[in-house]
Amino acid sequence: MDRVFLEISNVSKTFPGVKALDNVRFDIRPGEVHALVGENGAGKSTLIKILSGVQPPDEGAKILIEGKETQFAHPIDAIKKGISVIYQDFALFTNLTVAENIGINETIEQKKKVVSWRAIQKKAKDALDFLNVQIDPNAIVENLSVAKQQMVAIASAVAQDAKMIIMDEPTSALSRGEVERLYEIIDLLKEKNMAIMFVSHKMDELFRVSDRFTVFRDGQYVGTTDADKITEEELIAMMVGRKIEVKRYANLEEKGEVVLRVENLSKKGNFKDISFELHAGEVVGFTGLVGAGRSEVAQAIFGISPADSGVVRVGDEEVHIANPAQALEKGIAYIPESRQTQGLVLPKTIADNITLPLLRTFANKLGIINREKQMSAVDEWIKMLDVRPNDPTMLAMQLSGGNQQKVVLAKWISTKARILIVDEPTNGVDIGAKDEIHKILRQLAKDGTAVMVISSELPEILSVSDRIVVMRRGRITAQMDNDAVTQEAIMQKALV
Amino acid sequence: MQKVWKNLTKSKEISILAIIVVLAVCITIVNPNFLTVSNFFDIMRSNSIYGIMALGMLPVLISGGIDLSVSSTITLCAVVMGKFLQANPGSNIVVAILLCMVVGALAGLVNGLLVTKFHIPPIVATLGTQTIVMAAVLFYTNGMWISGMPDWFLSFGDIQFGAIPSAGKVVGMPIQILFLILVGIATWLILKYTLMGRGIYAVGGNVQSATRVGYNVSRVTTFVYIYSGTLAGLAAVTDILIVKQIDPNTFSGCELDVIAIAVLGGASVMGGIGTVFGTFLGIILMAVIKNGLVLVRVSSYWQKVVMGIIILVTISVDVINRRIEKARLVHVDVEE
Ligand SMILES: Nc1ncnc2c1ncn2[C@@H]1O[C@H](COP(=O)(O)OP(=O)(O)OP(=O)(O)O)[C@@H](O)[C@H]1O
Ligand SMILES: [Mg+2]
Repeated sequence: MDRVFLEISNVSKTFPGVKALDNVRFDIRPGEVHALVGENGAGKSTLIKILSGVQPPDEGAKILIEGKETQFAHPIDAIKKGISVIYQDFALFTNLTVAENIGINETIEQKKKVVSWRAIQKKAKDALDFLNVQIDPNAIVENLSVAKQQMVAIASAVAQDAKMIIMDEPTSALSRGEVERLYEIIDLLKEKNMAIMFVSHKMDELFRVSDRFTVFRDGQYVGTTDADKITEEELIAMMVGRKIEVKRYANLEEKGEVVLRVENLSKKGNFKDISFELHAGEVVGFTGLVGAGRSEVAQAIFGISPADSGVVRVGDEEVHIANPAQALEKGIAYIPESRQTQGLVLPKTIADNITLPLLRTFANKLGIINREKQMSAVDEWIKMLDVRPNDPTMLAMQLSGGNQQKVVLAKWISTKARILIVDEPTNGVDIGAKDEIHKILRQLAKDGTAVMVISSELPEILSVSDRIVVMRRGRITAQMDNDAVTQEAIMQKALV
Repeated sequence: MQKVWKNLTKSKEISILAIIVVLAVCITIVNPNFLTVSNFFDIMRSNSIYGIMALGMLPVLISGGIDLSVSSTITLCAVVMGKFLQANPGSNIVVAILLCMVVGALAGLVNGLLVTKFHIPPIVATLGTQTIVMAAVLFYTNGMWISGMPDWFLSFGDIQFGAIPSAGKVVGMPIQILFLILVGIATWLILKYTLMGRGIYAVGGNVQSATRVGYNVSRVTTFVYIYSGTLAGLAAVTDILIVKQIDPNTFSGCELDVIAIAVLGGASVMGGIGTVFGTFLGIILMAVIKNGLVLVRVSSYWQKVVMGIIILVTISVDVINRRIEKARLVHVDVEE
């Protein structure tokens, strides 16, 4: 068991103006899950890009695979050496069949000119059987659920004889049941002596799957420990360099009048008989499993896909919102969950992204924008959300995943809506920034906004909400004040 | 069984086939001459030119590109061959066909290099080569027709296969349709059974992943433009074998018809999707529409208007469909 599969040292990566990695090291053994942890921008994804041959490290890096020194010039080199990455977007060919996605690699690698579909089918079937998952090899990947697409990506790695699989925040798009299934697969891969490098911001998950942790902070190596020799608090302290306690903010403020009243809202195939109220100055947490219909309710209220029946009142006025523009006019803002596709203009700067929805407020009568005013507002948001690096001229696509999420949040929060709906606001955000975001949501409530937070993370719901609404399979199963509620009580309502 | 039916109704091909059948029935009611073997051979022969080019366009579209220069390539090849045959009346058909295909391939190679080496977007690159080549050819020929092809060449174009009695005559399948069928089979084999073919689908589906898994994206991209050019060259031969002379002006603007055939046949202008079978249905559909417009006596200007509308509608429906599919909400099992 002490054999090492991969060992790296002296690895640095410099981007213009940023040292994303500074002399880090890492090693992993067969049959082990080694988690790489650290705050947003710590350099986790950058290291993954280096190990998968997508980006070269700076001069002087030392990479040993099974004791032999190696370099990757191209992603193919890494795959040939047995390192496969499950990317967050899975990097699959969604227009092709499951079988081809899993089985074609061998043909490419052997530089064959002619394709044998029989061999591809067999390869795919073997890999799916190995993982013990039931997916039709002839299905087009586009038509599969996210969880199944992930399984296909893993099967594809297996089919390429991977000895090490890297997973970068693999559970962020999965429902709880699917997450359990993924854990099972990880256990299975471990049993079969696969080395697994795992990146996540979720503490419970990290402790569930990992054998060892390596911590990075701001591109620097902090340390490596066995998972059973460290507590959650100690790990967090290693990550952020200070202690963070999870606060409970419930019921600190006086509630105002009702600003949003939803009655018997239904949409076929999405949700049924949804009724609730939002008061000015309160934070209401919507929880339940992924796929319980929470996002669909929010999208109906916001007009992205309106409900079939039911009544929505903003204040005393009954409204019929047919599209997001009308919703914004009524003072409702919605921050969707997926940061990559909805909400960021990747080739634009942080400053432009944050101020996009409110450029008008910085303009004078002639429509000319006051740069100074704009920049000072931007600086404020960057500071408040701890966006790193705190350089407003940085392009959104150069940011780490978690920092992109912060920029999306800043962009919409700054519109100062009366009713703010946020969907999984801290998905992919590190533990320190999470608390910052919670504070901001609370501050907004204090200033009179009604905030609806959708989250599958119970600690987050318990920390930030005044009231908790639980949904299951398209219906509300419980509404409770957040005083003596426990995680177990909520889970029960969400599950059965 | 239910599943098979579901797949069938979902597939684009079936709906295209249905449209063809409905149109054919309508036109036959107005003009009974439409549904005869001899008419079918006639319309397919004249549309084989577009069909061959559409089969060349198909891989380009699947790879996520577009080739607007097929109109200039076919004109260039036709003129080169015309001049060659005038100068060498003692040559033979194999040389003539090869010459056209090589010239077409070279034109395609230029497009491929512009796209892969200079990173010019395909729509710009191929529009550029189209404009330049077309202008050069028109300048060189003065827009004048070229005629006086050798007899051995012309008689090759009249070859027919088989003898089928139809409407009082005996007709055979024209050689031009054989060209079309052979090109169809070749394209199908390439797309389905070669790594290059699968690479075309991969590049059109997700360029980044294609690079990651080791496809040579530049090579794939260059190949599709060369293939499209080569088939435009073959289409030039096919054309001269039908009309027996060369008009350097007839093909300007034909690239849109060619793209329309492929898209009507289910290929997506956004890449990743398309089949040879679908493209064949697209060819037949296009041929039926064109012939139908003539048979029901729509004036030639209005025919252009109708074709334009069809092209616009098919391409926008394709784009909109893809968008809707992307935006579709996840389905939640609501407890009743
Ligand atoms: N292309 C780039 N150009 C400039 N800087 C970059 C680029 N890519 C990443 N960086 C910077 O490198 C640092 C490390 O980013 P990385 O994506 O590795 O972080 P991470 O640990 O994965 O964070 P997260 O948890 O938020 O995903 C960040 O400061 C980021 O802004
Ligand atoms: Mg990351």
